[in-house]
Amino acid sequence: MPRQVIFEGRIENLSILDKDGQVDKKLEPKLTRDQLTGMYRLMVMMRKFDEKALNLQRQGRIGTYGSLRGQEAAQAGIAFNLTKTDWVVPSFREHGVMMALGLPMHLIYAYWKGDERGNIVPPDLRILPASVPVGSQLVHAAGLGMAMRLKDEPSVVVGFAGDGATSEGDFHEALNFAGVFNARTVFFIQNNQWAISVPRKRQTAAESIAQKALAYGIPGIQVDGNDVLAVYAASKAAVEHARSGKGASLIEAVTYRMGDHTTADDQKRYRDPDDIAYWLARDPIDRFRKYLVSKKMWTDDNDAALAAEMTAMVEDEVKKLESMPAPTPVEFFDHMYETLPWNLREQREAFAQGDRS
Amino acid sequence: MAFEFKLPDVGEGLHEGRLVEWLVRAGDPIAVDQPFARVETDKAIVELPSPVSGSVQTLHFKPGDVIAVGQTMITFGDGGATAAALTAPVSGKSAVDAGKSPVSEMVAAVLSPGSAPPVMAAFPGRAVATPHTRSLARKLGVDLARVTPSGKGGRITDEDVISASAPSNQASAPPQPPPAPVAIPAASARPAPPPSPGVVAGMAGVGEEIEEVPLTHLRKVIAQAMSHSKHTSAHVTHVDEADVSELVAWYKKAKQRIEADGRTKFTILPIFMKAAVTALKAHPFLNAVFDEPNGKILLKKFYHLGIAVDTPEGLMVPVVKHVDRKDMVALAGELVDLAGRARERRVTLDELRGGTFTITNVGAIGGVFATPVIHQPEVAILGMHAIKDRPAVVDGQIVIRKMMYVSLSFDHRIVDGLEAARFMTDFVELIQNPDLLMMRLL
Repeated sequence: MPRQVIFEGRIENLSILDKDGQVDKKLEPKLTRDQLTGMYRLMVMMRKFDEKALNLQRQGRIGTYGSLRGQEAAQAGIAFNLTKTDWVVPSFREHGVMMALGLPMHLIYAYWKGDERGNIVPPDLRILPASVPVGSQLVHAAGLGMAMRLKDEPSVVVGFAGDGATSEGDFHEALNFAGVFNARTVFFIQNNQWAISVPRKRQTAAESIAQKALAYGIPGIQVDGNDVLAVYAASKAAVEHARSGKGASLIEAVTYRMGDHTTADDQKRYRDPDDIAYWLARDPIDRFRKYLVSKKMWTDDNDAALAAEMTAMVEDEVKKLESMPAPTPVEFFDHMYETLPWNLREQREAFAQGDRS
Repeated sequence: MAFEFKLPDVGEGLHEGRLVEWLVRAGDPIAVDQPFARVETDKAIVELPSPVSGSVQTLHFKPGDVIAVGQTMITFGDGGATAAALTAPVSGKSAVDAGKSPVSEMVAAVLSPGSAPPVMAAFPGRAVATPHTRSLARKLGVDLARVTPSGKGGRITDEDVISASAPSNQASAPPQPPPAPVAIPAASARPAPPPSPGVVAGMAGVGEEIEEVPLTHLRKVIAQAMSHSKHTSAHVTHVDEADVSELVAWYKKAKQRIEADGRTKFTILPIFMKAAVTALKAHPFLNAVFDEPNGKILLKKFYHLGIAVDTPEGLMVPVVKHVDRKDMVALAGELVDLAGRARERRVTLDELRGGTFTITNVGAIGGVFATPVIHQPEVAILGMHAIKDRPAVVDGQIVIRKMMYVSLSFDHRIVDGLEAARFMTDFVELIQNPDLLMMRLL
């Protein structure tokens, strides 16, 4: 019997803007001025939101918070391909995607303040609550993607996770399931190099996370996650693939978590300052601004005006957050079950009435 | 309108932070989100940004100070408009916690008796208890409404339920040891704590072969303090032997005189306390605190001796303050009072705090010598053992003398063996030669 090659795989890396904002003309996506400046606005909005969140935490006005700094291009690039009827299945760092789809910022802040009402999204959005158990949400994303196929809805499901999650069984189960059942799911992995203090090289011996798609029989691609045009282009292809019923795919966006894992972490204990300097020179917002300036679509004046506008917007959202009436203890019972089990119903009643007379 | 900024929990579940530096001075203008201080927590050094704009009115702490979560650290002026919009910090501690001492003192704090806060005001009439306690109450047929709570926030604990189910257990409590402070067994003489429920769960025979003993609050505190100490200090124990024949003769004579009035009680412990303080003055590193975060050793010029007292519920360590300023008769009186109240759990929080060195009496039950555990954040603990007639060699002859073992557990991080040996040699010399002790007393 002969020895035959039955499979050969290849994985591409896509990069369109280099770190200095120079564009690869052949790959440059055809986007209008409004679309391009819209992407930029979104990224600046994310950063202002993020900076304020860190301050609110240090002032004791919200609880533990996970910063998205450095990942704005990855989140804006995918979000720009989604509509309100698409499903977002986030981990706990996708605030940028959520606000891009129209989730009010003050609800995102409310979630990080420990207020369950922050998880109640407006009825016209399909955003699941943030999933803190690492990787668990990807299984939901696979199932939702299969449901969209069974209902033949042209809606796409995006399951978000980080590099750490790809070491979880859930990641592999979800990709396998989505591949076999042709789920309308895009698995969007933000490889930000660090799972808290565990570096990317401790997650897999493989050269890339993207190549794991090959084992599950779905397309996979690695993109420069700090290049919003590359993320946009790769996401566009993946979303169209799913929307047209061709099935699931995997995107690995190579980026960097510029801050601590959360406000309860100290990244200085385990990261090399040179590493941070390397990535600082690849900041997604700076790079994209240089590109817009070179296309004569943006000026320093525009930038100052945008910063002021976004700061005012964020402050306004903080006011909304802090004018929300405080949740009452009894609401504690209200968000988990459609119908409360008897024992919790008893507790709720005891809580609500007689005992506070 | 002034705005008081209280230190928030800037990590997850932090209790305190150390002020590294102020980034502003009193009188400086301040903008919203402008960093005003750097604070070091268990997790990281963080910059704190101002929630208001205006000016800096008062800095309430100095760099190096430890600030408890919830304490006001800075006051801003002219920040009224923004300040009014702020709600209470999300992770703010209750008023009960605010202004409390740092965590290191919390261990001592929970030892304080009789300070159970009132039942949570929001739920008058409803007993506050965990599901486990409720289930225990159902099993034992105890009506929670009739149980007096002893837990935090008026919570009913398992122990409360158990004691409510056996109302006569007060009368049948084990007899208390005699109140003489000399006869205080040390922690090491106590039985080992019961196995944890986790160990017992799933074991066959619970209820027949194995009896489950719920931990008392004091036992939990002791367990925490002991493992904290063992995980903190580098414990080494130095053991020596003293011929206290002369001292005992001297003490017996003095005791007769002093107790002649029929009221005063004079024990031998104050003599050892005085000797210890005399030796401590000559060896200041044993009366110190290791301030590792700041890279400092703090030598204390005051001498507050903790005295280990066995109580029916476990070990307590009341502190006799300023031992160097009191005479031995006064010390004896204070010891009887403190030990007695410790056994009844009537000592105040202040009387359990602030020790600089501890003495524990180990010899009452038996044994040769023990290796006591250091009472944090002190540097050493002295174990006094039973005085017994033993053969000794004096001038080439074997004679029977009153002999005693003494052991010193010390923190090798800051005290080397040589220094500990010098201290002990000094101490032994003082208790072997009462004349010398007299000469050196301050």
